[in-house]
Parts: sequence; structure tokens; C-alpha cells
Amino acid sequence: MRKAKQIPKVKKNPFPYVIVNDFLDSNTLDLVIDALAGLEYDFKESDLFSYWSSIDLTDIDHPAINILRDDLGDSSWREKVAASFGSKKLSSIDMAAYVYGLGDFLLPHDDQVEGRVIAYSLHLTPEITKKTGGSLNVFNASKEGKSELIESIIPKFNSLILFEVSNRSWHQVSEIMEDIQRLTVTGWYHS
Amino acid sequence: MNFYYLEESTLSNLNRIFLSGEIPFLRLSKFLEGDAVEVNPNQETKEKIGFYRRKVGPAVLDEVWKSPEFTDFLKKITGLNLGFRKSNNFSYSGGDYSLLHAEELEKKRVVVAYDFTKSWRYEWGGHDMYSSPGKDPLICSRDFGSLMIVKLEQGDLSCTRYTSLMAKSEVQLDQIIYDIK
Repeated sequence: MRKAKQIPKVKKNPFPYVIVNDFLDSNTLDLVIDALAGLEYDFKESDLFSYWSSIDLTDIDHPAINILRDDLGDSSWREKVAASFGSKKLSSIDMAAYVYGLGDFLLPHDDQVEGRVIAYSLHLTPEITKKTGGSLNVFNASKEGKSELIESIIPKFNSLILFEVSNRSWHQVSEIMEDIQRLTVTGWYHS
Repeated sequence: MNFYYLEESTLSNLNRIFLSGEIPFLRLSKFLEGDAVEVNPNQETKEKIGFYRRKVGPAVLDEVWKSPEFTDFLKKITGLNLGFRKSNNFSYSGGDYSLLHAEELEKKRVVVAYDFTKSWRYEWGGHDMYSSPGKDPLICSRDFGSLMIVKLEQGDLSCTRYTSLMAKSEVQLDQIIYDIK
């Protein structure tokens, strides 16, 4: 079950985003982490990224994943997310799990794909620090494409980060510099 | 230039090897003789977020790449009629990158890259990638003194992959583009 009842005020700079701490209650958190640990992950790499990803979790039938999918995407939470961002009605979510190990990264991109309105990532690794890498960096970009790092978000365990997808939503996952496993459940709210 | 690459029998072999690749390419190690080339580029950091971040300057060996002798050598080993278009020196330090889609508007061409990178480790990334639809990508790891020659069609792409923040050196290369006439 969700522990978080409300969404804090959305920050506007460099683009609308918000961090919801203590998203899941401890029982659900344990169940979800156990379930994710039991999945298989495939190594994926391209010019843009290097990470391990699960199968698409949007439609699989698994007790803990079903609970998580409801917690992230039931109608009452979707309404709260839409209201917080002042967005149009959110009809559905998709989701997958990702693990970043030593040397993995995701370079700056804006997430824009038709239908994506709000991006989310639920962070499930306790030991992330500035030194380990794995921060979520958010950028302002000039018209010429020069970036300015606005904030380097070190994701807290059990925090949910939400941001509005637009041509301004430049972000990256910084390279993992130590031997940790950065586990997230990530996806998008769709219109 | 390494005299070995100028022998007639070598040129003919290189041409055969070049034409045999799914993405036509040649990699010529120890291309220049000696270690006399000093890399002292007058570089400027250039960034287009989501496309590239790197330092750019004039090619260190600009005169070589523009010379009729080198163009003639390229014509012999590729069998193509080539015209020099541009040359640059690129440096990639920890955190720098270029992405494949930065070349979306490119025409067919021959890309030449001469590697000045010293003391490099594979796990630091920074390798060159060449991509063509429906074909396996061509990966070229760093190798000081080697010359890479790749034929790319319109729609084919190339980039220098993300360089790790753990890198204790930097990627350094001259990259030259020749148009195929």
C-alpha cells in the first residue's frame, strides 16, 4: 500500500518535478523488492545508455507487482498526479525495473515520446550518495543546446520522483562510480 | 607515413579488405612513423545537449589530411573518388560523449579518424561506433597511432561513445570527412 497520501508542491525549475518521500509502506516495500530481486534482467547498451532492464512489468500478473502497479497507477493517485502538475487526465501507466551497476549511465535526454505526460521513478536502493554516482541530474538547456546543471538529485530509498515530460525535461542518470546496484521502477503516466 | 602502407601489393590488399566489410572499413595500425606528432590543439568546449559534449579544435594534422598525396592514398585503398570536406580534432574527457543521431542529416561519405589517445583502458568507453541500418555496428576501440577509414552511406551514423568519469586520460583524435563524388 501507499504510505504517501499527498504530493508535495511541484518545483518549476528547470522543469516541473517533485519528489514524494516514503512512497510505499514497509510491508509493501519488502514484497516489491523481493519480487524485483526475483526477476531476470538483460544488459542493454547503446550510445545513450548502459544498464540492466527487466521485462515490461505493465501487464504481468504477479501479486507484489500488481500491488505496486496499483499504488503507482490507480485512479485516485493518477488524479493527484494530474492535479499536482495541472496536466490533462492521466489514463494509464507503464512500468519496468532497471538496475545500474558500476560504470552504467544514462546520458541527457528529454523522454519525449507521444503519449507520455509525466515520468516517474521509484527508487529502491538505500546506499546512493554523491560519491557512488547514480544521481538524477536535471538540466536547463539554452536554445543553442548548452546545458546548466540545476540540481543533482540523490535519490532517497523509497522516494518517488515525478516530472513533466516536455522539450525542456532534460535529465540524466550520472555514472555509477562504486560497486552498488541502483534499482528503480520507472515508467510514464500516459494521457 | 609507414612505408609498408605505400607498397603496391599492400595497397591492392587493403582495397580488397576494405570492400569485403559489411560496413566497408580499414584499420591501419602504426600509420605514422615515429612519435613526433605533438598534440597541442587550440580547442573549445562545444555542447549540444542530447547530441554531444566535447572539445573541438583544428585537426592537428590538417595539412596531411588535405594533401593530394593522402587523398590519392585514400582513393587507392577505397577505390572511391573522394573530395576533402572538413577536418577537426576532438577531445573527450570524463563525462563527454557524442550520440549517433547527431549525424542524421549526413550524406554518403568516408570518415577517417586518426587516434592520438594514449594510456587508454577499454572499460573507460570512449570508443568510436559506426552504425548502419540492418547491420551489426562497427566498434573501434582506442589505439594510439591507428588510422580508421570507414565508408558510410546516407543514413549511416557514427559517434564517440560516453567517456567514463573514471578515465585517467582523454580520448584525442583527428576526424576527417571526405565526400564521395
